[in-house]
Amino acid sequence: MDEQWIQSVGIDVGTSTTKMIVSRLRLGRMSSTFSLPRYQIVERQLLYASEVHSTPLIGFDEIDAEGIGAILQEEYRKAQISLSSIKSGAVIITGETASKKNAQHIVHLLAERSGDFVVATAGADLEGVLAGKGAGAEKRSQTIQGTIVNVDIGGGTANAAYFQRGRAIATVTFHVGGRLIRLDQQDMVTYVSPNIQAWLSAKGLRITVGQRISLAEISEVARQMACSMLDYLTGKERQISGLLVVGPQLRGDFPVEELTVSGGVGKLMEGAPVRSMADVSRYGDFGPLLGYVLQQEREKGTYAVNWLDPEQTVRATVIGAGMQSTEISGSTVHIKPELLPIKNIPILKLELTQEQLANPAQLHQEVAAIYQLGERLFDKTTGIPFALAISGIGYCSYALLQTISQELSDQYRHYFAESQTMVVICETDMAKALGQALALRCKGAPEIICIDQVRVEYGDYIDLGEPISGTIIPVVVKTLAFDEKA
Amino acid sequence: MEQQLDFLVDKVVAELQKKLSELGEKAPAQAVEQAVEKVVEASMQPGAQPSVEVNGAAAFQSDVSEEPERTAQIPNPQWKEGLDELLTSTPARIGVWRTGVRPLTKTMLQLRRDHAAAVDAVYGEVRQEVLDQFSLFTVETQYDNTENYLKRPDMGRILTDEGVRLLQERCQKKPQVQIVVSDGLSASAVDANLKDVLPSLLDSLKSYGLSCGTPFFVKGGRVASMDHIGEVLEPEVLVMLIGERPGLVTAHSMSAYMCYRPRKGMVESERTVISNIHRQGTSPVEAGAHIGTILSKMLEQKASGVKLVL
Repeated sequence: MDEQWIQSVGIDVGTSTTKMIVSRLRLGRMSSTFSLPRYQIVERQLLYASEVHSTPLIGFDEIDAEGIGAILQEEYRKAQISLSSIKSGAVIITGETASKKNAQHIVHLLAERSGDFVVATAGADLEGVLAGKGAGAEKRSQTIQGTIVNVDIGGGTANAAYFQRGRAIATVTFHVGGRLIRLDQQDMVTYVSPNIQAWLSAKGLRITVGQRISLAEISEVARQMACSMLDYLTGKERQISGLLVVGPQLRGDFPVEELTVSGGVGKLMEGAPVRSMADVSRYGDFGPLLGYVLQQEREKGTYAVNWLDPEQTVRATVIGAGMQSTEISGSTVHIKPELLPIKNIPILKLELTQEQLANPAQLHQEVAAIYQLGERLFDKTTGIPFALAISGIGYCSYALLQTISQELSDQYRHYFAESQTMVVICETDMAKALGQALALRCKGAPEIICIDQVRVEYGDYIDLGEPISGTIIPVVVKTLAFDEKA
Repeated sequence: MEQQLDFLVDKVVAELQKKLSELGEKAPAQAVEQAVEKVVEASMQPGAQPSVEVNGAAAFQSDVSEEPERTAQIPNPQWKEGLDELLTSTPARIGVWRTGVRPLTKTMLQLRRDHAAAVDAVYGEVRQEVLDQFSLFTVETQYDNTENYLKRPDMGRILTDEGVRLLQERCQKKPQVQIVVSDGLSASAVDANLKDVLPSLLDSLKSYGLSCGTPFFVKGGRVASMDHIGEVLEPEVLVMLIGERPGLVTAHSMSAYMCYRPRKGMVESERTVISNIHRQGTSPVEAGAHIGTILSKMLEQKASGVKLVL
């Protein structure tokens, strides 16, 4: 087998809009016939992009699952694809929607209804990165020396991701979005998101529900909001603008050379100038104005960054989710096809140092410490408690392989005696050898799944798809950060 | 019948060549003696390096040791991260800078060191303790000596009569899998990688439930000596772990050649190969595990080389 196509779907349920795409990914053999097989996704093609639908809600903070189901059913029909032909993809619940009441339930429901191996995901970090990929910022970063930041501004939040030399190096999320302030046709403010109150008072801006607002007043709010976000992104000022940040602040300075703005508001930047209140409130919120003031900032050139047009605007996240979320594991792996696919496995990281690898007693302790952590963090299960991600091994000799596999298997059977499957993810190309060494020791209790060349971080979740042509495993690394407070 | 005839002709030619080279050996031998005298003279002079043997031994040790870390020699590069990225993307000698129009002394020394390692790999011998570790006994081909081995690949494809007798005496006949180790063009490849590749391969055979015949070592072997061994032992599949022609990137690279029912008259397209097995290339333990998979597929499909579907 030299090449193969798989179909992948992306579904983005955002605060204000819902969209879906279908793409196909080409897997090609990247190694010569004289080497170990190595496959990669060599091409990603967009086959179908849905219209941009309004996200159906019941009341104010509940997503209408049936409504979304109906939209998707219709789109699948239009795209002329059957659920069974979809081999990969992601449903992503973004922005403020992820904190709405039934988000977690919906996302799993959708994943089940949209194909065999479509994963459910939420979380601002991943969303920012996927949007950056969809907008072309990741690709662009491979051609320049400096850092490019893409900020995807939707209805409820703006997700920024910094890329350098093809890698996402940082993400940050803001309470900046078109639907944070809503207006009716009579210029009356009908909603102001509580999330921006602290920032509004720090800036000395007054805007309250029920207030009749003038173009000058609302323009000032929009301009200040856009500038605060840009101040933060470029590192100009982070005290007051930091009040808009959702979750953790950026750690460290990232000098930015290029900037792209995607998302619904990114699209509105291209729109006609906003000259009257009627222009502002045409979608019932201040989104058009936010886009317009950003465009003005771009034209004024106040910020020392190079503004570029993104490849995608409103569909950046969904295209990222559909086309860029799937990876391929190394092709020499140890698996049991009948155990796949497996979904939503949390990652436990075992980072080894050369010193620990050279000293069996230290290695023993380190493995014990990690397994004890796993025991505390995850519930006892007869299934898979976690996927153990091992890094830091470097060159692995046979002798070292034996030591590592002995420690891993002995202690696993001690701490997780009830678990019937052990999942291991290696950083370097050694999964087949390690999996084989573990399997010879465990003899089916537990079964071993060992894959490699997938980069995961602590706090990630991983989904492993059914093997394509025997040994190629589609992998999606994701976050599942639902905001429990809301 | 025709194959047997071919076989006999090859053997006779090899035998004749051996006789010829024995006759002509006197002259070159004198040249070697003179060279040795020169070296000895040089080492007698004040301030000269101590004996040649000590240097040789040290070089041999460092065969298997780690490569020094590569750094670019460019002073004040405009974009250091970009340069580092390029360096990690290739083992080629880039970013070496220059002095006038020539390479730096450091670069030249490195190049000569790597070249010397390549020469050592060809002329070196596999260490006996490496073979003993896996209880491999040694049979020889008709290569006679390294010079002749390089000139006459055909002689490296046929075992000596003594070798054939040893195989018949000590090896299990018609095994499912026959493992053969050979120095080929790089003895140091065997020194460096056998201890990782072979046990990993044996584990892999165990997990596939395949049985393995009596492994042994072929000195002065060429890839196609598989064919002769196949005639003698008639294994179902055979894998030969053999040292590759050394290059300037590494002198310790090993290949695994595999075929289904090896026999006289096999064509190259019937062999499957995994090459570039060394520290910086295909991981030796991973290669060992994967070879097991390939062998099991060969047994399943009763085919090898281009006919094998992987």
